[in-house]
Amino acid sequence: MSIVALSEMLGAAVRDASGAVRGRVREIAVAPQDHPTRIAFLIVKTAEGERMLPHDEIKSAGAAVRATTDAGRWDRFAPTDGVLLLKRDLLDQQIIDIHGRKVVRVNDVELESTPVNSHLLLNVVSVDVGARGAIRRLSKGLVPSFTLRALLEKIPPRVIPWQFVDLLETDPARRVKLKIAYKGLAQLHPADIADIVEDLPPAEREAVFETIDEEVAAETLEELDPDVQVAIVESLDKDRAADIVEEMDPDAAADLLGDLPEEQSAQILNEMEPEERQEVTQLLEFGERTAAGRMTTEFISVVETAVVEDAIEALKEFEGSREAVSTIYLTGPGNKLVGAVPLVKIAVATPAAALSDLSEPYVACAPDTPQDEVATLFDKYNLLTLAVVDEHGRIAGIITADDVIAMLRHRN
Amino acid sequence: MEALKNWRVRIALILAVVGPGFITANVDNDAGGIATYSVAGAQFGYTLLWTMIPITIALVIVQEMSSRMGAVTGKGLSDLIREEFGLRATFLLMIGLFVTNFFNIIAEFAGVASSFELFGVSKYIVVPLSALVVWGIVVHGTYSTVEKVFLSASAFYVAYIVSGVLAHPDWKAAALSTVTRPESAGFRNYGYLSMIIGLAGTTIAPWMQFYLQASIVEKGVTARQYATSRLDVIIGCLFAAIVAWFIVVACAATLHSIGKYDIESGADAALALRPLAGEYAYLLFAAGLFNASLFAASILPISTAYAVCEGLGLESGLDKRFEEAPAFYWLYTLLIVFGAGVILVPRFPLFRVMVLSQVANGVLLPFVLIFVLLLVNDRELMGSYVNSRWYNLVSWITVGVMVALTIAMVIAQMRG
Repeated sequence: MSIVALSEMLGAAVRDASGAVRGRVREIAVAPQDHPTRIAFLIVKTAEGERMLPHDEIKSAGAAVRATTDAGRWDRFAPTDGVLLLKRDLLDQQIIDIHGRKVVRVNDVELESTPVNSHLLLNVVSVDVGARGAIRRLSKGLVPSFTLRALLEKIPPRVIPWQFVDLLETDPARRVKLKIAYKGLAQLHPADIADIVEDLPPAEREAVFETIDEEVAAETLEELDPDVQVAIVESLDKDRAADIVEEMDPDAAADLLGDLPEEQSAQILNEMEPEERQEVTQLLEFGERTAAGRMTTEFISVVETAVVEDAIEALKEFEGSREAVSTIYLTGPGNKLVGAVPLVKIAVATPAAALSDLSEPYVACAPDTPQDEVATLFDKYNLLTLAVVDEHGRIAGIITADDVIAMLRHRN
Repeated sequence: MEALKNWRVRIALILAVVGPGFITANVDNDAGGIATYSVAGAQFGYTLLWTMIPITIALVIVQEMSSRMGAVTGKGLSDLIREEFGLRATFLLMIGLFVTNFFNIIAEFAGVASSFELFGVSKYIVVPLSALVVWGIVVHGTYSTVEKVFLSASAFYVAYIVSGVLAHPDWKAAALSTVTRPESAGFRNYGYLSMIIGLAGTTIAPWMQFYLQASIVEKGVTARQYATSRLDVIIGCLFAAIVAWFIVVACAATLHSIGKYDIESGADAALALRPLAGEYAYLLFAAGLFNASLFAASILPISTAYAVCEGLGLESGLDKRFEEAPAFYWLYTLLIVFGAGVILVPRFPLFRVMVLSQVANGVLLPFVLIFVLLLVNDRELMGSYVNSRWYNLVSWITVGVMVALTIAMVIAQMRG
């Protein structure tokens, strides 16, 4: 078992079973449909055009390649987008390094060769993004290979194992064929995904948002700058955009739709489920810089006669964001807000304890309270959440501390 | 009413996109540019004004392609060169860009030093201070704040228009020689010919292509907003050309008319203007030189660090910490420290370095322009935004002429 670099193999002379040089390696192909890492064939540029040397007919590989068969048996290569071409698709291109959580450029690709029976098994094991790969390629053909190998040994490698590599492909059909699903990326924290997405060019961003799970896409979108959000949503088709917006927090969704051109936000709203659409439309009607514009309508409220057990039941059923559950609101007749119970108190109380006994004095504001005043309230009372109450004393929504932090940061 | 509203909307749209093209075109009127225009006016009076129109057209064509590529691909020029032409070509080009821009940075700091020496302030004070300002603006600003600072700096170029007016030129003669075909006899004069080459060579510099495309990307301009972005490029180039025109006119109306031909730099021109056009014209000319030099000195180091790091796949960006992007910060810092530092070396052969910076620009330019043309015509990359056939013809001719003129200039410079 040994490691051979893609750049060493490219241009290597290929000898067939007869021992004669028949051509040179032009490309190395992987067919993800058949096997995720195994080399499917080498494309050999021969006097008779481009031929495919299948993986089970390779006897040795490196700076020279030997085949176990005669060149006459190698099929003609017909260009297809169903295979991954390591030179064209990977070398010098950007990829996502899942482990390092960033976008990097590929300097070289490392293949592992394992002898099996009569032939050689070649697998992609990692991509080189460091100085070693760069120097190998820059000095290829200029420095004797022996000296070069000795020199490269001294350079600490910077490689990304293949399982942590997500490829960037902007053509949706080809993404399917190459089985690019951004599964690794989707495992990361949305804030990290957002950092990565910000480093990508627009078409690649779009590719990521078209492919990843809607829920992850929604959370990621919330972490991005408003103008980047707008650019991404504008680039997606309206159906897909609606699916993602539905999964967002209603307040974030309303902010985003408010930033979009009216025609587009109307199209997206049209595609949304009635329930989500109504919530978002309500929020859209308030000014963005008021309490109502900043609030979310997803919060937990129970009747004032409820006990701790009921609150825990409500928590289990709650589908909104985690920031919203730090306080459970109590409502009286006519849906009026009468009390607030911090989550900590519920955690330490017995299941049968009455919530009204645990209730604390709460802070609330009117829907048209300017956002600066909202921030002041959070600061003054050390709040995690703030209830927004309409003119009849009914709770319309809540503002969470993370919204206030985001608002303060964006103002600067 | 409707028309007025429409008009207002349009202005708002333009203002939202104005920036990268306008800034790039103006930075082009840097210390070296001002020197060249001043010398052209002093030596040949109004007779070189006809070059302004073709030069502006060439500038628009080249800049337009870079900004279009930025808007359509969302990638910088060095990224695209790396992806399409591989590591080796990129590496060589980046070394070239680094060296060339380093010489340019020295020239800009030299402009800073000489402009303040006109006011009697020592370069040992001004140059280190300017280097600090340059470093601070960029490190502590976001793209939009930096853009505002740069746009204000661009507006300051109006100083040259005012000093042109104060020089009381012969407007009619100046206007006429801008639009009439030059007399063919002039072309047999070696000095006249090499001045044309100098004017053309100072107009399009390699760094502009990298900087413009990168700022278009950073501003987030997309293919759909491209029409307004093109307007940004055109307005910027026109404004830059008008400024250049006034510099030539100011020097023609004063220095040329009394036979004072022997100036070598922008500072020389300012000094020579003093007794002829008055104190205000002198002050404006000198202040304009300082502004232009500092402006270019702010842009070159950061744009070089970005281009080189992106091309070579090294971590870059001001949002990264030093340990995360060491190469980026080292490049940036070294360019400023050494670029400003050599100016302070006693008996430093400054004039030689200025010439060298022009030569380096000239050597690098053909490669950059040819890469730009190949990339902008790559259908896989640009889709329907590739050059149209006639545009391609015009741009290849433009690039061909620019390359020929620049090579001629390099040869002339090397012969001394």
